[in-house]
Amino acid sequence: MDMSVASQGRVDVRDLHIRFQSKGQDFEAVRAANVQVRPGEFVSLIGPSGCGKSTLLNAVAGFLKPTAGQVLLDGQRITGPGSDRGVVFQQYSLFPWMTVRANVEFGLRMKGASANERQAQARTLLGLAGLLAFENHYPDQLSGGMKQRVGIVRALATSPQVLLMDEPFGALDSQTRVVMQEILTNMWQRLRISVLFITHDIEEAVFLSDRIYVMTARPGRIKAELDVPLPRPRTAAMTSEPEFAAMVKQIKGLIREESIAAMGGELSDGGLVGLSTEVGPQGVGHLV
Amino acid sequence: MSALPRIDTYPPPAAPAAPKAVSPIHVGQGVTPLPLPMPAATAPSLWQRFWQGRGATALLGALSIASVLLFWQLATHYKLDAYIRFNNIPTPAQVMEKVIEVNSSPKFVTNIGISVRRILLGFLVATALGVGLGVVIGRYRWARALAMPALEVFRPIPAIAWVPMSIMLWPDNEVSIVFITFLGAFFPILLNTVHGVQAIDPVLLRAARTLGAGEASLLRHVVLPGALPHIFTGLAVGMGVAWVSLIAAEMISGQFGIGYFTWEAYSLISYAEIALGMITIGVLGLLCSGGIRLLAKLAMPWQAHSTGAP
Repeated sequence: MDMSVASQGRVDVRDLHIRFQSKGQDFEAVRAANVQVRPGEFVSLIGPSGCGKSTLLNAVAGFLKPTAGQVLLDGQRITGPGSDRGVVFQQYSLFPWMTVRANVEFGLRMKGASANERQAQARTLLGLAGLLAFENHYPDQLSGGMKQRVGIVRALATSPQVLLMDEPFGALDSQTRVVMQEILTNMWQRLRISVLFITHDIEEAVFLSDRIYVMTARPGRIKAELDVPLPRPRTAAMTSEPEFAAMVKQIKGLIREESIAAMGGELSDGGLVGLSTEVGPQGVGHLV
Repeated sequence: MSALPRIDTYPPPAAPAAPKAVSPIHVGQGVTPLPLPMPAATAPSLWQRFWQGRGATALLGALSIASVLLFWQLATHYKLDAYIRFNNIPTPAQVMEKVIEVNSSPKFVTNIGISVRRILLGFLVATALGVGLGVVIGRYRWARALAMPALEVFRPIPAIAWVPMSIMLWPDNEVSIVFITFLGAFFPILLNTVHGVQAIDPVLLRAARTLGAGEASLLRHVVLPGALPHIFTGLAVGMGVAWVSLIAAEMISGQFGIGYFTWEAYSLISYAEIALGMITIGVLGLLCSGGIRLLAKLAMPWQAHSTGAP
């Protein structure tokens, strides 16, 4: 595996619109979103629940077609899923019938790599994630955190240009989550791959990212773009520094407005209009 | 596929990590825990250990079989006649004698061999067609729309009801019996395969596609192994129905076979042979389902580690 700083892996989301038909109703998930991931950059997309951040990631992964706008990888239009973009899902997505190593080797097998080549690559990456001792285990024998580490390693095994992560630690308990964030930042430090990371956890986004996009409530638009000034490599100690806290506070403010807007919207959609008065004028202002 | 699932909702639908077990002495929050004696701390007695071990299971199993034999022996010895009548029922000893008698000529073993061959043929064809068609129907909407209405028409017809039609349909009596056996096994295998394919977590299909799997690889490496637990359920059910169908077909239209042997014994008023035929059918069915269980264990090594394992 090439461990040097990536020269490829530029993601360009240009003026992306995504609409669905849901139960006969037109549903606008993403509106006029512009997102960029530069080669070797760690970028997070953060926003209130249901804001369309996962939808945007799915468009980059190739699972859904944009209604309008463009999604490019290194200048090439994305037409469907492919191994040039590794995806780590929120749910555990390991194949239960394959051992840990067979899971990691799957993408290389699809590429037609030889058994030796596959094994070498898989063992290198499993070693990096501290999972070599578990290579012959089945996913059901692993803890949630270990499963998700295997998921990351599997997505990296085909040497993709970019890693797409859809709330990968969302199902983990908070202790495991913190450890996973440290493991991920260490792995990223070694591999320097482009990452597009979806999360609703502000601390997580600040700790991991070079840059953060904050999305609005539905329909998802890009509300703000912030650089994270924290130095690399990141360590757990940084989370107690004032810079970190200030950044978190700033984003919290941005998200709060949107969360209230999202809740107000949902409540009045559900027919509970009376409750929307509780959110105050700030929330109501976003309802339209 | 008109609506996309809402995958961007929070809280995440995935199951949370299992909470750590807390020992009872820590439950009283803010209270200094007293070193209470824990019942689990005492060493289990020899009796308790035996009772929880394999020995007890084997003993109870033997007891279960022995009580059936004892009841049989008593009921036939005293010619029990209380609405159900044991006057003409052979005793266990008489059946034992019969076992030795029938094995002095190759006829009995030949009958068994013929039945087993019919089962294997019918079952193998049912497995190949049921799994093959089941994967296609489960995976592709057009195949489902095309095939299911026709299959639903045939499904409620029990395999035994096909006996007269089958005799007319096939040129050879042997083939028609294999066909009946096949029909018995086919539908359980097909429907379970369809269900298994449809029950595969879509995230696994997505994951495979992002890892570069094409449709053929997807079928081979994800759809088929993903459906395997359901397929084996289908095979186990199918094997049972195949035996039911085979025995009925052999009794009605057969020459040879263990079902024919049993029915012939009834015609010849050879009571011990009826019991022997029944017991043989039971043992053969047991061996076949045991074989499928073994096959499932070998084909799905990951299942040994999933839910239920400590």
